[in-house]
Amino acid sequence: MSIMQEEVATNLYFDRIFDTQAAKIGPGEYYYTDQDMLIVTVLGSCISACIRDPKAGIGGMNHFMLPQGATADLDSPISESMRYGNYAMEVLINQLMRNGAKRENLEAKIFGGGNVLRSFKTNVVGDRNAAFVKKYLQDEGIAITSEDLLDVFPRKVYYFPKTGKVMVKKIKQVNNYTLVKREEAYSSKLETNEVAGDIDLF
Amino acid sequence: MADANTKFLVVDDFSTMRRIVRNLLKELGYTNVEEAEDGVEGLSKLESGDFDFVVSDWNMPNMDGLAMLQKIREDSKLSKVPVLMVTAEAKKENIIAAAQAGANGYVVKPFTAATLDEKLSKIFEKLG
Repeated sequence: MSIMQEEVATNLYFDRIFDTQAAKIGPGEYYYTDQDMLIVTVLGSCISACIRDPKAGIGGMNHFMLPQGATADLDSPISESMRYGNYAMEVLINQLMRNGAKRENLEAKIFGGGNVLRSFKTNVVGDRNAAFVKKYLQDEGIAITSEDLLDVFPRKVYYFPKTGKVMVKKIKQVNNYTLVKREEAYSSKLETNEVAGDIDLF
Repeated sequence: MADANTKFLVVDDFSTMRRIVRNLLKELGYTNVEEAEDGVEGLSKLESGDFDFVVSDWNMPNMDGLAMLQKIREDSKLSKVPVLMVTAEAKKENIIAAAQAGANGYVVKPFTAATLDEKLSKIFEKLG
């Protein structure tokens, strides 16, 4: 069994439409920068939190969903869902703080949680993810300055961490199932991988 | 399990994570738990309270977990208190640095109650 770990996105490209360097992130990835650039992702039922410190001029974005563990007790603070969601948020926030962000300056914009995956047993996957991120940010005292959550459509999110500007495009016509397939693969990876890290050095 | 009255200090700057650790400990039968939100508060609580065990995050503002661990080991009154580092960092150099600074164990997030139990048991075993 391998360990689920959030990875820094490696898919960098030059975006011709916005005429800027860009990073594209996928499920289970995150990216942060103090450069004037663009971070892009496409969300179905997953969530992206775009978090920045406007004073320090650094920001980043993650992309995750909660594991759909059959036995997961959603209301339990120690369920697999809570532990993984907490981890996905903390990895990004820690990187921002390590690179000069101050906790009290942080502001978040949150997107996604569309109920787009028809094959999930219940249709509340997006709701759960959305509820989690809102509660997490409230509990941690991080201001939510903008949100576009739920509904049934996938979203493409463009985030400019330097200015905090976000553009969201709702994808009403899904021409292929790449997105759905990618999220399902991520979801089943979360289910088959143990949500646990363990190093046995000492 | 060691003594159910073992007094724990959980040090983490994320209240969500403190709640998770507190509840995991409760699951394992430990209910005597206090919290601190960074190394500075952690140290001052340690100095004024009789804690038996510290579970600490690494990345924290003001004073991080590693700096707090070093201070604990330098303090003649606190130097013997076992410290379990709980961190999102799985990098080898971090683990080595923690070991060198005198950590008794190291757990990488997101971990389970079973993993925490195993780590705690191992530490209690070594302490005898």
